[in-house]
Amino acid sequence: MKPAQFEQHEPKTVEEAVSLLESLDNRAILSGGQSMVPMLRFRLAVPETVIDINRIESLDYLEEDDGWLKIGALARHADVEHSELIAERYGSFADTAPLVADPQIRNRGTVAGSVAQADPKGDWGSVLLAHEGEVVAQGPDGERVIPADEFFLLPYDTTLDENELLTELRVPTPAPREGSAYHKLKRKVGDYAMAGSAARLVLDDEGRIEQAGIGLTAVDITNVRATDAEEHLEGERPSSDLFKRAGELAAEQSNPESDEHGDASYKERMVNVLTQRALGDAAERAGLVKRRVSQ
Amino acid sequence: MTNTREITLTVNGTEHTIDVEPRQLLVHAIREELDMTGTHIGCDTGNCGACTVLKDGEPIKSCLMFATQADGSELMTVEGMEELPEARGDLHPLQEGFREEHGLQCGYCTPGMLMSGKALLDENPDPSEAEIREAISGNLCRCTGYQNIVRSIEYAAEELEEVAAADGGTTAASAFDGEFDCGVENCCGGPSTDRDHDATEGGEHR
Ligand SMILES: Cc1cc2nc3c(=O)[nH]c(=O)nc-3n(C[C@H](O)[C@H](O)[C@H](O)COP(=O)(O)OP(=O)(O)OC[C@H]3O[C@@H](n4cnc5c(N)ncnc54)[C@H](O)[C@@H]3O)c2cc1C
Ligand code: FES
Ligand code: FES
Repeated sequence: MKPAQFEQHEPKTVEEAVSLLESLDNRAILSGGQSMVPMLRFRLAVPETVIDINRIESLDYLEEDDGWLKIGALARHADVEHSELIAERYGSFADTAPLVADPQIRNRGTVAGSVAQADPKGDWGSVLLAHEGEVVAQGPDGERVIPADEFFLLPYDTTLDENELLTELRVPTPAPREGSAYHKLKRKVGDYAMAGSAARLVLDDEGRIEQAGIGLTAVDITNVRATDAEEHLEGERPSSDLFKRAGELAAEQSNPESDEHGDASYKERMVNVLTQRALGDAAERAGLVKRRVSQ
Repeated sequence: MTNTREITLTVNGTEHTIDVEPRQLLVHAIREELDMTGTHIGCDTGNCGACTVLKDGEPIKSCLMFATQADGSELMTVEGMEELPEARGDLHPLQEGFREEHGLQCGYCTPGMLMSGKALLDENPDPSEAEIREAISGNLCRCTGYQNIVRSIEYAAEELEEVAAADGGTTAASAFDGEFDCGVENCCGGPSTDRDHDATEGGEHR
């Protein structure tokens, strides 16, 4: 099916895009299009104007700068998947990228578009939450920084303002003893998650957990943090018993729905298992980081 | 009130200038405006991969992109395969592989499979089975059960290696340009002054 007719703009700068957003009614932003094009085709979205941001070159970056890993709005899933920086330093991002959809979709879809889409089954929201990341938005009144915790409202609904363009996602660069990981359960290759868990651990000099972040996929109305599990972990030494309890707490706090892929209690058990695995990998990677630093 | 726009697509090396509506999908532009029906539409929702083409060398699903977004880019479709040098005027080794190894039954998925296979072999001339399966993970096949598709791509990888060897090893080894230097004295012509080729890379003695 073809989308309804629309006018199209291809701004070349962020300022141009924002002024289009401000001056036009009934418009939609088109980024990688891997969710937007189907929505247009099914006429779930019927905008008069589509603002295609793909030609804003200044938004195409993935870099460390000023204590942050910065992901520009046009960084594609495949850019993260093939980045050496990510492979070396950001375990959860390296785990997630190849698990998003399939190679063709990863070549077009963007990480930022995925977060803006706010599908509770989207993978990146959980990673952003686990890392206590931030969303940077540009609007008519300038730049606004939104903590990941305050970004997701409802399925497909965020605190991004109508007139704002999401320009960047960012997470703090890793502490000396930090590790992170993502585990996802899916029915077959290329599918959205039935459940997923992102974990990030920062250890102190004594090897105790100084900071813990856990983000869950597809088990609530948005990507959510497992705060009870995080609190249980902080101040403790990593151990399989500790992670087991954290897995249970994450499962208790999750709120999955039964569907054709599994009933809610099954998904809760999966949250438990996936969280334990993600924590295990994160702890191991935190140790590896230490060894590399002390060499 | 149709608003159309002029765009230029280079498809299989030939430049085409066409007028499209902003809502025109790339797959429709290729099939309906350019009359190249080798690129198929299977699902229309981004799930099946039958519409896969290469855009600037990368596989993408042409049903998930507007034609205007491909303005100025280089596209490759299944129609272009026979014209590639490695096809030597006949079927491309990948196409030959699908014929020899029975990589198709109804053939609906085949153009997309060929494009994903091509993208893989361009990046990775000697893929493992797991790498092949990952590369075609965005392409569904209702008929074959995939096993023969994997074999077809393996066949092509071997064939391409032979073509390269027959051409004096230029394809596989062209990165070394005959100036190949493994970094060891009195071997491979001894250390060269060309610092672009670092010793570890040349050390594989390929
Ligand atoms: C078959 C299939 C399988 C998939 N599997 C997965 C999966 O396993 N995991 C997963 O996480 N995702 C999956 N996806 C979704 C994919 O990751 C998309 O790339 C992503 O959801 C949207 O990113 P995009 O860049 O394509 O954005 P678009 O589709 O262009 O936009 C999505 C939405 O975000 C808005 N938007 C985009 N960019 C901005 C911006 N910079 N500022 C403000 N608003 C913006 C758009 O207006 C639109 O509402 C799948 C998609 C398909 C088609
Ligand atoms: S027709 Fe494009 S993915 Fe199926
Ligand atoms: S050969 Fe029929 S769908 Fe693949």
